Amino acid sequence: MKKSLYETDEAVIEGIRRSDENALAHLYKLYFPMISHFILSNSGTDDEAKDIYQEGVIVFYEKIKGDSLELTCQIKTYLYSVCRRLWLKRLAEKGRYATKLDESESYLPVEEDTQQHEEQERQFGLMGEALAQLGEPCRSLIEDYYIRMQNMQEITDKFGYTNTDTAKNQKYKCLQRLKKIFFATYKPEV
Amino acid sequence: MLEYRAYEEIERYLNGQMAAEEKAGFEALLRTDATLAAQVQEHRQLLLTLQHMGERQQLRQQLKGIHARMERDQASAPPAAWKVFWNRHRQTVAVAASVSLFSVFGALWSVQQLKKPVQQHTAQYVELRREVERLKKAQTAIINGINDATKPAPQPAAFSGTGFAISANGYVVTSSHVVEGADSIMIENKTGLKYKVSEIYRDEIHDLSILKVAEEDFQGFGKLPYTFKGTESDLGERVFTLGYPREDIVFGEGSLSSASGFEGDTTAYQISIPLNPGNSGGPLLDDRGNLIGVISGKQAGQEGAAFAIKSAYLLQLIDELALSGQVEPLVLPKNNALFSQNRPQQLKKLQDYVFVVKVYN
Repeated sequence: MKKSLYETDEAVIEGIRRSDENALAHLYKLYFPMISHFILSNSGTDDEAKDIYQEGVIVFYEKIKGDSLELTCQIKTYLYSVCRRLWLKRLAEKGRYATKLDESESYLPVEEDTQQHEEQERQFGLMGEALAQLGEPCRSLIEDYYIRMQNMQEITDKFGYTNTDTAKNQKYKCLQRLKKIFFATYKPEV
Repeated sequence: MLEYRAYEEIERYLNGQMAAEEKAGFEALLRTDATLAAQVQEHRQLLLTLQHMGERQQLRQQLKGIHARMERDQASAPPAAWKVFWNRHRQTVAVAASVSLFSVFGALWSVQQLKKPVQQHTAQYVELRREVERLKKAQTAIINGINDATKPAPQPAAFSGTGFAISANGYVVTSSHVVEGADSIMIENKTGLKYKVSEIYRDEIHDLSILKVAEEDFQGFGKLPYTFKGTESDLGERVFTLGYPREDIVFGEGSLSSASGFEGDTTAYQISIPLNPGNSGGPLLDDRGNLIGVISGKQAGQEGAAFAIKSAYLLQLIDELALSGQVEPLVLPKNNALFSQNRPQQLKKLQDYVFVVKVYN
């Protein structure tokens, strides 16, 4: 029953736009075997297959969410192309150049999408490090406020500040430090 | 503290929490104050990065969940060994199956093709028993109806063939297919002598049946003028037969054209005598009046190819019958009265011992 709900690519995309987790799960299960097969037959492991596939799905998902994807082909082809690109990159990083890939599908050039994704990954990596350097309780405070979008009152209660002003002041100091650490290492690539 | 205130401002600006007036003022300030503008830019990027990072972490978590569930589902139903095998070798199996199917049916088909001409031959073998026409049956019924309306019409014979005496004490031989499925059998010779007979022995393989006269006041046929030949006759020998392909007795003459019968059947001769339905069971004699065979059939669509069972098999059958011991001793004729006579003389003597066999059912 569930399957028939997302029979077409359009239905899946529509589901993702609505943040329907079932649509995402359906999509995920549908094409995992294909990518897994591709990675495994090109000197990859199960874990690598899972990794690459999840990256691919993230690229696709964010594209859909950001409304920046003009899908001119099937989702299947797009996912395959992205994962293929990512895997080639990964192989190159491992110092192994695949001279001949065992291809099972046709693919599209998706350099731009994957590059953007990797740039973001780099950025997030740096941010993660910066947050780690920040130490507690600054890190939790920042994450709670800016990522989990909790309001000042909740944060005040959670961290045991006397009032919201103290919390705000604390947050300001933390953010100031984070900014310094982050921008010391991060130079946006233009 | 000033910095702190500025942060508040920037954040409110970025979150779109400023009122229109305040916002216009702030934007004006941004255009003049480059440091502030750079700060706002940095701040925006920081916040966006944090936000995106959060979203992506959440998504990654979600995918991990999905993957874990998927693996759990698969683990709960581990693919059976045959399924793995099937997935791997599906194509090969399909090809093998179609090849074997093709070869089996191909072989069957070609065997069928090879058999076909043989089947045609079989279909062409015609047994020479005669079906008595419908027309005649109807006529008889009308005549009887005129004479005596109350009496039920006597049933005419359904089939007829030929038979001949093999001993003086009432034994007659004919083809099995003539008397097949008979309720009652009558024999009648040229002179009009009629006997009721019954079948007492049958050899379906050689298509021979022995009949015996079943009448109490039967006196015997008298001395038979011909003898039986136990050895094979030679190719080209002149042979003749008498039979009842119609109401009257008909003579046919030809020669022994092959020592084997239909499809190389060594129990029969091929003879070149024109034969018709009703000739079945007739005697085949050579020039010297020896009985050498029993007429059995012919090949359809081929002229002059008729077949007769060799007399050796008739003798064999008679021996078997004697051994079974259930019947009166069967005395075969020993003297040949036809020897060194011309054909009309031979026929005159012979015709009393050749009968039309009428089969009722």
